[in-house]
Amino acid sequence: MSITAETAKEHAKDPAVLCCRREAGQVISASDLEDPAIFDDLVDSGLLNLDGALTIEQVIGAKLTKTTDSLGPLTTENLEGYTAAAEEAPAEAPVEEAPVATEAPAAIAPAAAGVAGGTLKIHIGEGKDINLEIPVGALGAGAATVVPVASETAEATTGEAKASKEEEVVVRTLTRKHFSITEVKRGPETKIEGTTLYIREGIEKECVADQELVVDLKLDIITPEDYHTYSETIMDVQPVATKEGEDELGSGVTRVLDGVVVMVTGTDANGVQIGEFGSSEGYLDENIMWGRPGCPEKGEIFIKTQVTIKEGTNMERPGPLAAHTATDIITQEIREAMKTLEDSLVVDTEEFVQKRRPGKKKIVIVKEIMGQGAMHDNLLLPVEPVGILGGKPNVDLGNVPISVSPLEVLDGCVHALTCIGPASKEMSRHYWREPLVLEALHDEEVDLCGVIFVGSPQINAEKFYVSRRVGMMVEMLDVDGAFVTTEGFGNNHIDFASHHEQIGMRGIPVVGLSFCAVQGALVVGNKYMTSMVDNNKSESGIENEVLGCNTLCHEDGIRALAMLKAEMAGEKSKAAEKKWNPNVKSTNIELISNVTGKKVELVENEQSLPMSEKRKAKYD
Amino acid sequence: MRNVQILLRQHVGAPCEPIVKVGDEVKKGTLIATPTGLGANIFSSVYGKVEEIKEDRIIIKPDEVQGDEFVPISEGDHLDMIKEAGVVGMGGAGFPTGVKLSTPIEGGYVLVNAVECEPGLYHNIRQIEEDVERTIKGLKYAMEITKAAKGVFAIKAKNKKAVDVLRAALKDEDDIYIHLLADIYPMGEERAVVRECLGQLLDVDQLPSVANSIVINVETLLRITEAIEERKPCYSKNLTVIGQLNDGNEPHVYMDEPVGKSVADLIEESSGLDEKEPIGEIILGGPFTGKATTVDAPITKTTGGIIATMEFMDLHGAPMGILICACGGDENRMKELVEKYNAKLVSVTMCKQAVVMKSGALKCENPGNCPGQAEKVLKMKKDGAEYIIIGNCSDCSNTVMGSAPKMKLKVLHQTDHVMRTIHHPLYRHLTISKTVDQLPNGK
Repeated sequence: MSITAETAKEHAKDPAVLCCRREAGQVISASDLEDPAIFDDLVDSGLLNLDGALTIEQVIGAKLTKTTDSLGPLTTENLEGYTAAAEEAPAEAPVEEAPVATEAPAAIAPAAAGVAGGTLKIHIGEGKDINLEIPVGALGAGAATVVPVASETAEATTGEAKASKEEEVVVRTLTRKHFSITEVKRGPETKIEGTTLYIREGIEKECVADQELVVDLKLDIITPEDYHTYSETIMDVQPVATKEGEDELGSGVTRVLDGVVVMVTGTDANGVQIGEFGSSEGYLDENIMWGRPGCPEKGEIFIKTQVTIKEGTNMERPGPLAAHTATDIITQEIREAMKTLEDSLVVDTEEFVQKRRPGKKKIVIVKEIMGQGAMHDNLLLPVEPVGILGGKPNVDLGNVPISVSPLEVLDGCVHALTCIGPASKEMSRHYWREPLVLEALHDEEVDLCGVIFVGSPQINAEKFYVSRRVGMMVEMLDVDGAFVTTEGFGNNHIDFASHHEQIGMRGIPVVGLSFCAVQGALVVGNKYMTSMVDNNKSESGIENEVLGCNTLCHEDGIRALAMLKAEMAGEKSKAAEKKWNPNVKSTNIELISNVTGKKVELVENEQSLPMSEKRKAKYD
Repeated sequence: MRNVQILLRQHVGAPCEPIVKVGDEVKKGTLIATPTGLGANIFSSVYGKVEEIKEDRIIIKPDEVQGDEFVPISEGDHLDMIKEAGVVGMGGAGFPTGVKLSTPIEGGYVLVNAVECEPGLYHNIRQIEEDVERTIKGLKYAMEITKAAKGVFAIKAKNKKAVDVLRAALKDEDDIYIHLLADIYPMGEERAVVRECLGQLLDVDQLPSVANSIVINVETLLRITEAIEERKPCYSKNLTVIGQLNDGNEPHVYMDEPVGKSVADLIEESSGLDEKEPIGEIILGGPFTGKATTVDAPITKTTGGIIATMEFMDLHGAPMGILICACGGDENRMKELVEKYNAKLVSVTMCKQAVVMKSGALKCENPGNCPGQAEKVLKMKKDGAEYIIIGNCSDCSNTVMGSAPKMKLKVLHQTDHVMRTIHHPLYRHLTISKTVDQLPNGK
């Protein structure tokens, strides 16, 4: 039925359709128009064709030239005196130069060119079955960057408030010393000679003996020539790294081996893949998305364990943990060897500096990690990077939010036992190279205050329990904006949505990152979920069981940052399209590149890999 | 107030026999008709004078001034008082409550139907929010009379406020629980309530007593309490008036309106029909199970809603098929809608789960769980339909949407014109889970 003037205003850009029969000569007002909220259903039902429909803002005040039936769209054919289509164009960035804001980019921001993202259809099981469409996409970063700077300047000139330009404060630093490994061999003792790593023969027996649930452990050295080797499901990919001296995780110096990663794989004694919720077993070169933050790089050597655990323990917590612990016995022995290496073998040194940027928009990253039990667990803050010893399982911590520094994340504070769908799970190495943390840490326009990890419990009541803690914690941080990220899809989207609500209801802009696309479409939603970035990379928008394919990459972090900046500047993301549309992402990327002048490199997807039998049969 | 028309057939069973004459003065609570077989007493709902007695109704001219007092029923045991007060199922079926409660269900369940499944109706939930005490008392009387061990309120989880009121009121009650339901249609069908609360799917011809339970509407509980504690005869009704009205499309919720009052009076009191727009139809009852009516019609003991809808689309004689379903309108109702849409009927199909009962009424074998509809959709396509109109539940509508648009059939739902009028989502794709989390221990 007809809508109110207010509703018409909210839907100004939506198509204009008559609610009831109207005769020629009628001057169109809101009370002649149907509610756009039901258009999707009407289009689906074949009752409505929106081709050529003008927008609501175009038709208000125009005159109908032909008598038109109920649910007839208003077009140039049956209307006169409508407003011409608004140019997609660009309100320019505020002209008045902010006097002190030297960082303000001079770019002209296409402020009106908001862009929606792939579509997430959301349904709310209460209220009146409200359908929300979640936009994935944002304004170009330019608008976002200029506006806040300008407003802060205004504040500063009017009085005490904040100093307009405050000094950056270095909170702590983390140095990574890289040691190159070009060959991995077995030998009588574990040691590193030059660029050759030797792993002690027979160490497997000790690994098995150490863990009651481990029945067998096979150690394979996979070189690039061996990539076409069958493997059981990949449970984790880990950097080989150790702290120097008494340095604590997250600061000081970390030594890391280049050219080699540890890979944990396994089954139970019955041959069932560990954590069989979709698995990546098969030929390694067909099932690994090279170069994803959590994955191996092409050319790296894998120290791969194939752990067999007691039958039936593959879906319970102790089983996967035993497989990881057994593997870590090998890694720990390598770490000990690394500690003795001469500094002369260092091939590269990287420094990560955690800075606070007072006066800039303060933001926090909330990362939802799996905590449903079984392999849905993570060891937090072990003594060694991605170690076992000293780490606390987030399930045992009650999945409550834990605050960590960005450098702790990059120093391997998460040992991931997670075994959700291979394409969207964040492996230990993912955190070591977490793109959103890196982008935010290095972005001089924002003040990243930290990272909050929150587990995703199994039971709904617990989900809301931890989510309310997230809300409180974010409230106390007094941030201007927040990210919420998650891995996997489905059950965890319940708390993912609740985190948005808890943060959003406190008036804090929030941007979400998740794999959604087609298969991972959100199962719940709320009114605060208006800005979303879809981590999907797969061709068809599905969980394709290719390791790491749909995890958060730099291109997602960049989009999310642009979107959050826009939100913090008071802009709104454009409403999403009805169905998942990968073009939205490309349009957003293009907009961002146009504004920043930097090309955003997009990663490849599974189509770049040799086709596996499994993929051929199941997906593509 | 216009004349009050009290129908002699308001419930299951044969019409009642009038026991008053033209010219008689009546009071609120004066017994004016009695059952001839299965049925319930009928009382005057106003002070006034019997003006006419027709075959199917007694017409009373109400006095200008109406007092609150009424003629009380006589004291007796609780079951007798309910019978004497003429209480019937207020949810729509109108089965005499005294008869329903006569079958003991020792150790069983009294399931309270507080589902209010028809979209756009609000009076049941409002009653819980505002009058929970008398409602729970009614349940306790029903449990005592039937020797039931437990009482369960079946209510949709979306009604947060009502659920909170119930939780607070029931926290110290040992034997009364709450069972939450998802917001899909239909959850309030009697056998759906039994299935959801007790996990037992009854055959179409089985009564809830097979599952050692009875299902009783939430307003009926109120009338039980009134009969027993206030000795008040059953002559008033709660209902919702909604639709295309002068003051917009917000609901008007009424408590204790006199049975027999005209639709015209109730619409007038709700600001009147929208004068600026043509009215499509006026429905007596809910969007799914209600029937088109006129402003002259009276409300009865089972009337839940009065809905004024927007005009129908004009399909200019396009060929249309109907898919009849037990959960929505019957064949006559669907055919009537084809006419109102100005379409041409070319195909009649019926959901394979709909069973025709002896009474001619339809019942669904498993309400709210779709048996598949592609075959019916194909049939309508083959019969030359361009449009189809369906009266299905949430789940079946979803199924139809899976096939019909692909066959280039345009899909209308029986409730579309109502949903558009009251700004409620259309029944098309099912977008929510059919299950919801329960409260801990049902409290």
